[in-house]
Amino acid sequence: MSDHDHDHGHGDDGHGHHGGHGHGSPWIQHHYDDAQHQFDSGKLGIWFFLVQEVLFFSGLFVAYILYRYHHPEIYAYAHSYLDVKWGAINTAVLIISSLTAAWAVRCAQLAQRRGLIFCLAVTIACACGFLGIKYVEYSHKIHERILFGKKFDPCIASAGNHLLNKENYCPGVKTSVVWDAKTNKADRGCLDAPTGYDWDPALKGIQGKCVVNELTMSGTGANRKEVSRRPVEACAPSPDHGSGHGGGHGKQTYPCWTLEQNPHVCPKGPGAMVHYGDHTSRGSTVEIEVTCEAVPAPVEPKDALAPVDGKLERGEASFKKPVTPSKHDLKHEFQSGPPPEHTNMFFSIYFAMTGLHGLHVLFGIFVYIWLLVRAIKGHFTPDYFGPVDYAALYWHLVDLIWIFLFPLLYLIH
Amino acid sequence: MSADLDNTVSYLEVKKGLGSWLYTLDHKRIGMMYLCGILFSLMLGGAFALLVRTELFSPGMTIVGQDWYNKFFTLHGAVMVFLVIIPGIPAALGNMVLPIQLGAPDVAFPKLNLASFYLWCSGAFLLLLATGLGGVDTGWTFYTPYSIETQTAVIPAVAGAFLLGFSSIFTGLNFLVTIHKFRPAHMGWFQMPLNLWALYATALMQVLATPVLGITLLLLFVERFMHIGIFDPTLGGDPVLFQHFFWFYSHPAVYIMIVPGMGVISEMITTFARKPIFGYRFIAYSSVALALFSFLVWGHHMFVSGQSRLANMVFSALTFSVGIPSAIKVFNWAATLYKGDIRLDTPMLYVLSFLILFTIGGLTGIFLAVLSIDVHLHDTYFVVAHFHYVMMGSTLVAFVGALHYWWPKLSGRMYPETIGRVCAWGVFIGFNLTFLPQFVMGSRGMPRRYWDYDPEYTLYHRISTVGAFILGVSLFVVVCYLAWSLKRGKKATKNPWGASTLEWEAPTPPTVFNFPEPPPEVEIYNYDDLVEVPNANEDGVTNWERRPAADKPATSSHH
Repeated sequence: MSDHDHDHGHGDDGHGHHGGHGHGSPWIQHHYDDAQHQFDSGKLGIWFFLVQEVLFFSGLFVAYILYRYHHPEIYAYAHSYLDVKWGAINTAVLIISSLTAAWAVRCAQLAQRRGLIFCLAVTIACACGFLGIKYVEYSHKIHERILFGKKFDPCIASAGNHLLNKENYCPGVKTSVVWDAKTNKADRGCLDAPTGYDWDPALKGIQGKCVVNELTMSGTGANRKEVSRRPVEACAPSPDHGSGHGGGHGKQTYPCWTLEQNPHVCPKGPGAMVHYGDHTSRGSTVEIEVTCEAVPAPVEPKDALAPVDGKLERGEASFKKPVTPSKHDLKHEFQSGPPPEHTNMFFSIYFAMTGLHGLHVLFGIFVYIWLLVRAIKGHFTPDYFGPVDYAALYWHLVDLIWIFLFPLLYLIH
Repeated sequence: MSADLDNTVSYLEVKKGLGSWLYTLDHKRIGMMYLCGILFSLMLGGAFALLVRTELFSPGMTIVGQDWYNKFFTLHGAVMVFLVIIPGIPAALGNMVLPIQLGAPDVAFPKLNLASFYLWCSGAFLLLLATGLGGVDTGWTFYTPYSIETQTAVIPAVAGAFLLGFSSIFTGLNFLVTIHKFRPAHMGWFQMPLNLWALYATALMQVLATPVLGITLLLLFVERFMHIGIFDPTLGGDPVLFQHFFWFYSHPAVYIMIVPGMGVISEMITTFARKPIFGYRFIAYSSVALALFSFLVWGHHMFVSGQSRLANMVFSALTFSVGIPSAIKVFNWAATLYKGDIRLDTPMLYVLSFLILFTIGGLTGIFLAVLSIDVHLHDTYFVVAHFHYVMMGSTLVAFVGALHYWWPKLSGRMYPETIGRVCAWGVFIGFNLTFLPQFVMGSRGMPRRYWDYDPEYTLYHRISTVGAFILGVSLFVVVCYLAWSLKRGKKATKNPWGASTLEWEAPTPPTVFNFPEPPPEVEIYNYDDLVEVPNANEDGVTNWERRPAADKPATSSHH
């Protein structure tokens, strides 16, 4: 690939390029007339490649549009599992990397070797940061089983608390409710409305005297026996609800229990839920036993707007002050219901789109490492900087695709 | 290929040894390697076809059971489509001829060209692996949801088709840039040989359509591994979306197959009629028009898949419009033959076969575009016969014809003419015997892809099977004598056919950078200044030489 004496018959005027025929840089391949000819060819080639990339992604965008058109409720429901914060940070990270990618081209054109190396390095760092954040997001979703297809089995959240999923597996939480996968509903542990408590859906709280015990069991089937038991205290009211966001969550003692309503799990009434405050699974050896007393005689309706004095009686433990629901609350309200059928499709699309995009970012990192090595070796000159330019074009496209993905996936209303 | 190679020596002899081939960046050597792979695949796909036809010789079981039959027709389709017909003319012949027709030393990106070839090899390997792992029984279309459920080797087959798709994309990209950036100063767009127009239109489709196949197959691949559910109705996915995606590629793919065939036909027909091509601009534009229309008609594969009535009508109407550019080409070719000085050398026999077979294939396509008729003919042998007339009768015949046409230039040897002509007749007769009865069977309701059939179809199936063997033997002999001619054939001259395009000004075989001297400016499709010189070399092969410029007639008439 060095300079050579062959004239391939284009002649000096073959393509109308000005400038000498002698190849200035050792990186000009012999079958091009001159540096400009090589650069132009490469540029056209990368543009065609980008067109190809757009069409490669287009299938996924079509799938997105189609499923969203047919199932808007899935998108409205499911996007709240995505964390806008991480998405926004990643958008910023990619935009910065696009800036440095473009800047690198300018540095190469101006023969600023140190600037070129710096810009390439920052681009690589941003790309790695992007993938790091994606790793955080993905691992959270894997942990919470917010995945595609049959692997979509999240812990249905209610007012910010974890409940349970169809396999009774939610790290850090154990409930008395047992999910029956065959009938696709909860079959044990849900409390029926007339017994033991007074449920007022409008108040989102439960009045009733209940005792909750944690039982350790051994054996299976008919041999299943209780080994030991311990009482579980009711959860103390969160200081958040009394005095705004002044308090922390640290005051909670674990384990503690609440009665919580989730129609997805217990359609008629609440189920008892024990929070452990950690992310350890207790497995099937631990069962929860709930005993509730009969509902006391009707009392005067409480003043819903009166301030909570912090001296709630037991059984009123999770009574929460009714507030005008904020947009944020409504979003969680959405989540506390059962997911619409085939919510998994949103995550199929989400993982397909972000996964393919992530692979492109990964590929871009390799390309930029290669460029960095060549820049350090001093290969790029104002006569020969094509690869930096082409890589930047590719990188802008990867960036642009993310700019579309971010609102389409994270910012749905 | 490094620049220090001696550009006065034939590309075949400039370096020796296996490594000089495997690492070569020379477009001609890469094209030759493609050609070997494609001809091998052609034999393999042909063998599967003959197994299918043998099984269908009699109703019920003839040689294999239903499972194997399903695998045979699937592998026949997948090998022929992805390994033979799509890369056949562009990647093998186009690769060898395109830069020389431009007077360029190579394609724009020689390394990418080699990478495309190795992608092709990897894809071919995976398809063969799928065959070795017990085959695939989905049909070459991989329709969901069956392709999600079947226990056969779908994963390697899909991965193979994915890689082959990218091989095709990179070849197309390379050709686009080469045609844009490597045309010599005197060659404007309308001074390009029509083969280059066809390759340009093909490359556009390769770059624009194939990525959609890529993402479709990738999703199917992920579906098989992780059950992502996008095409799986049990998870809420949409299997018909797969069909849309698949045909959004695979309909343009039909034109990726046929348009380069039309390109080489345009070259051969003017050469062997010794007459300027009639309607140059119409043929050029119609190639681009076909590329454009190809993206608008995919829905005609899905008339009975539950599309809306409106969509069906729109796709039907657009499908009719494809007939216009196709017919423009056929009329212009026919007009080129009119009052031409026609020589019936082997390539020309294939050209004439092409004209007949393509006309039949194209017109039966019009039948299928009619909504009411398609309901009856859908998934019958009528459809099978129709697309074989286009894909095999047209594209493959054009490919074999073009292979004979450029063989002297690229191998430096003549093929044996007499046996060549016999085989051309064998291909034509065998092909029609195979597929004409299938039109009849199909219109009488014989469904495609069935292992068994009613006895009333026996006669048609038997004629078809006999024809298939005539066809198979003819093509096999062609491959054999071409291989034989590499060593034993007569030495070829620079321009044995009296052709007018630039590649015939290069040495035979071309030197490593194609032209040791700057290529001359030639006026393509002008035969006035070409003079026949019989017995021009020691093997008695004819050559056509250009008269010196001073003797040129004052005018020429080709635009």
